[in-house]
Order: sequence, then structure tokens, then C-alpha cells
Amino acid sequence: MGCALLIPFTFGLPPVQGLLMLLGIFCGGIYGGSISGILIRTPGTPSAAAATLLDGYPLSQKGMAGKAIGMSTIASFCGGTTGAIIMTFLSPQIAKIGLKFGPPEFCALAVFGLGMIITISGRSILKGIISAIFGLMITTIGFDPLSGVPRFTFGSQNLLGGVTFVPALIGLFGYAQVFRNIEKILVLPPVKSKVENILPKFREIRSTLKTIFKSALMGTFIGSIPGTGCDVAAFITYGEAKRSSKHPEKFGTGILEGVAAPEAGNNAATGGAMIPMLTLGIPGDAVTAVLLGALTIHGLQPGPLLFRDHLDIIYPIFAGMIMAQFILLIVGLSGARVFARLINVDRRILTPIIFFLCVVGSYAMRFSFFDVGLSLIIGIIAYFMEYYGYPVSPILLALILGPMAEQNLRRSLIISHGDPLIFFTRPISTAFITLAVIVIITSYYRIKRAAEREAHRISIDRERDEKNEETEI
Amino acid sequence: MRRADIIVGTGLIILSAWFFWYASAYRKATIYYYGPNFFPQILSIMMSLCAVSLIVKAIRGDVLPQEDRIDPKGFIRMMVAIGMCIGYLLIMQVIGFAMGTCVFLFALMTFLGYRDLIKRIASSVVSSLIVWAVFRYFLIIPLPTGIFSFSF
Repeated sequence: MGCALLIPFTFGLPPVQGLLMLLGIFCGGIYGGSISGILIRTPGTPSAAAATLLDGYPLSQKGMAGKAIGMSTIASFCGGTTGAIIMTFLSPQIAKIGLKFGPPEFCALAVFGLGMIITISGRSILKGIISAIFGLMITTIGFDPLSGVPRFTFGSQNLLGGVTFVPALIGLFGYAQVFRNIEKILVLPPVKSKVENILPKFREIRSTLKTIFKSALMGTFIGSIPGTGCDVAAFITYGEAKRSSKHPEKFGTGILEGVAAPEAGNNAATGGAMIPMLTLGIPGDAVTAVLLGALTIHGLQPGPLLFRDHLDIIYPIFAGMIMAQFILLIVGLSGARVFARLINVDRRILTPIIFFLCVVGSYAMRFSFFDVGLSLIIGIIAYFMEYYGYPVSPILLALILGPMAEQNLRRSLIISHGDPLIFFTRPISTAFITLAVIVIITSYYRIKRAAEREAHRISIDRERDEKNEETEI
Repeated sequence: MRRADIIVGTGLIILSAWFFWYASAYRKATIYYYGPNFFPQILSIMMSLCAVSLIVKAIRGDVLPQEDRIDPKGFIRMMVAIGMCIGYLLIMQVIGFAMGTCVFLFALMTFLGYRDLIKRIASSVVSSLIVWAVFRYFLIIPLPTGIFSFSF
């Protein structure tokens, strides 16, 4: 939204300055969305920060909001810089891989992404899968993208375009948390942010560096595939970080690695998303589509010719992307202390204001009170789901990947006249499906083993406590 | 949790059966075999399979312990707050966005038990005016103006 709003302001500026302004908003927006996600469990940037709040919000509830924001800033800087450097040096080569993606490859990618449900399901994988299928069912509401037939709209014009993503996101996380806060307002202890420990320690940063750079590389690659975006990158990198971690059971309880991975991934994806936009003229996601529009407004034609005819524009864009990461680091780290103080405001003041911001946020996307009502209903459902052990994050993942999975599954089957072997005869789709199977199986066993270890530890602790009590008696 | 899982599982089976039946009407809409009904019907089959496993697991006693319970008094408080929000959405159409927001925030803060009157007034007025100004002058998003001609 920020980029779209600022396009008119760039008309009067020289092309380089105008484009750099939009790039700054793009990178800053993807990073900045995590701050509200960490503090109030409502991502400022639709979807990109949704994976960050899984560990960011529990961290802020432990009084470590500053540390979470600090880690998010450092990871965003490392991820964004890696993405920008890869974009600078490898754009044409990566763009060629992106061009090889057809419907079977996109479908396989969506299946790979949906495989991450296992890692974000929390205590019960079955309940996580149920949540994800529920989310996929929601994505079928509205016009069918292939035939144009309206589905499950019940005659409502407001549902023709489907369930809008932003109100759904606000309902799932924002409203659900507000309702929980109001319910527990007399019970919950006040959170005090430890402002003195604002930055993660060097030891903590060093321990996450491997995760950060792995997520950055993955994020750049995912971002460079047209049609995927920072949101997909964030979830896949979070899932991979949890899968490959020595202590996957700690993810979701508030650990710095859980903030670092999605933040590095989604900021690296900003550089990745620029690759097909600049080299082929294909936008990777909604924001790059706006940037593509801005390029044409300034009289530039994105595509291979841009690299031949307008190197005077291309090089400043590359340099600007890298510079934006440094500015993001300075602003983020200097502001972390101020942002973290927000959590110290009395809950009885803060909760009504967050409630109001949820109302405003769900209204502002389409200026629609229908969306506000829809968001409230989703919030109530999410509130009950969390009580009965159904995680809400898989719904969000399904909302992001559902349309991609459905359209490309059907397109592939139409191309192959119904033969599902099409997914196994093309190298990229076979690779993604194999990866998805490996990820699902290994995640399942690792998480199961970690849960058993945790249960064993708890039983040992309990036995020790009982023994101590007996000795005291 | 065991009873809840059985109830939810049964509800999901009913939901998926209805979803399958409702989606079957879309089959005639296109010439493609993999038409608009294809994906919803696959999903409803998958959902019903998951729901059956949920019920079977619950009957076997393989359920998660409930970590947290809904506090009845807190739940009533939450429902009242939702009612206040619905009232806010309605009253906003009459008295305008900024004034409606001030009233809503002040009322909710009072309801949640915040005592300091000055802070209540200040925070409700300042936050609603900031958002109103950003929407009206920066984002230029239309907001309900109510009966007042000065669009407040």
C-alpha cells in the first residue's frame, strides 16, 4: 500500500530518485511490519511478518521485545543485503531458472510450502492439518480463477472477490489476541520490557548467523520465482530453521532463531523479487508489480533491454537496495528502545487502542464495513481455535498458497489430460515434490522426538520434585 | 478436550459433506473435467478423513491436555466488548468517525477498569485524532462523517 500511495510523489522526481524512494518503502515496509507483529501480534505488513510473530510475540511477552526487534533488525539487514548483492551479480542467471517455471512447478512449489504446516502446527500435527484444510476451503470462496464461476458466495457481492487477505490476517492474529487480552485482563501479569538489554548479545547473534544466511539464500531464490513473494519465503525459511534446529520444540515459545529466520528470508526475498521484475519485466509479487508500473511511468521498459540501454538507472537501483539495508539497520536499532517501551503501556489503555486499530486496519483495505464484520467473525473463530489446540498459522499459510496450489494443479491436469505423472516428469517439479516429502518426513520425526524428549524431561523433573518433597517430610 | 474433539470432528464431517454436496453443483458450469468443483471436493474428502482420525484418536483417549480454560467472567467481558464494538460501528455512521472512536475508546477503557480519568480522555482523544488525520489528509481514505457537516 505504501508504494502505491507514494507513486504520485515520485512523478516530479528524476527516475533514479523516484525509484529509490519506492525501493526504500518496499524494504522498510517488509522489515517494519515485524515490529507491530512482535509487539502486539498484528503484522504491519500483510503476511510478510506473520511468521515472525510466531516467536516474536512470545519473546515480547517475556519482556524481551527490544531484543526481538534488535534481532529482527540485524537479520533483516543481513538477509536484505545478501538478497541485494545476489540481485546485483546474478540477476540474469537466476531469471533464467524463474522462466522455467510452469503450472506443474508452481503447484509443486505450493505443495513444498504447504509441507511447512508440519513445522508450524504446534502441539498437534493433525489439528494443524485440519486448520490448513479449513484455510484452503476459505480460499475457494469467490470467483474461480480459471472458469470465472462464483463459488460459495451465497449471493453476496462482497464475497465475489474472495475473503480479502488483510481482514483475515487481522482477524486471525489481531482480534483473536485482543479478545484473549480482554478475557484475561484481570489475570495476566503486566509485561515489563527490559529496556537495558535492547540488543541481542554478540554470542546470540553468532549462534543464529548460520540460520540467517541459510534463510537469506533460500529467501532470495524463493523471492525470485515470479508469483511467490516475501510471505512464502518467510514461512518456508521459518519451517526450515525449525526442521534443522537441534531444539525444534523451543520454536513458538519465543526464541531468537525463530525471529531471525523469517526476517532474513523475507528481506532477502525483496532482492529476489526484483530479479524477474528488472530482467524479464515480470513482477514477483504485488509490490514489484507497483514498482514495474513506476518504471514505465518514468519511461523505462523493464526487461533485458533495460540492462543494455539504461545502466545509468540499473546501477543506482542495485546500490540503492544495498544502501536501504544500512539505513534500515540504523533506524531499526536506534528505534528499538522506543518501540519496546510501547509494551509497558497499561493493558487497559493499550488493548482498546489495538482493538480500534484492528477495526481501522480491516476497513482501510477496501473501505468496507463488510470486511470489518468478516474480520471480527474470523477473530472469534480464531479465539476459540486457540483454546482447543488448533493453530491459526496454518490457515494463513493456506490463504497464501491455496490459490497458487489450486490454479496450477488444475492447469497442470488440463495440460496433461488428467495424467498426474506430469508432476514427476519435469525435473524442477520432481525436485520440489521430493524435497517436500523429505521435509515432511524429517520434520515429523524430529518434532516427535523433541516432544518425547521434552515429555521425558518433564517426568524426570516431576519425579525429582516428588523425591524432594518426601525428603522434606 | 476429548469431548470437544469428538464434537468438533463430527461438526467437521458435516461441514465437509455439505461442502462436497454444494461444490458438486459447479460441475456443470464448465466444459473442463477439472472444473470449479474439483478442488473443493478434494478438500472436503481430506477434511472428512482428518475429522474421522480426530474422532478415533479422541475415542482412544489420545488427546492433548487442555493448557488453558476460558474464564467465564472474562468471556462475558469479551462478549460485552464485542457488543461495544458493534455499537461503535453503528454509532460511527451517525456521529462520525473521530467522535465515535473517542466515545468507543473512552467507554472500553472505562469498562476494562482503568481509573485515571485524564489519561483515559487524553489517550482516547489523541489516538482517534491521529488516525483520523492520517486517514483524511495523508491517505485520503473516505471515513463515515455522520450528521456533522464539518466531516469530523
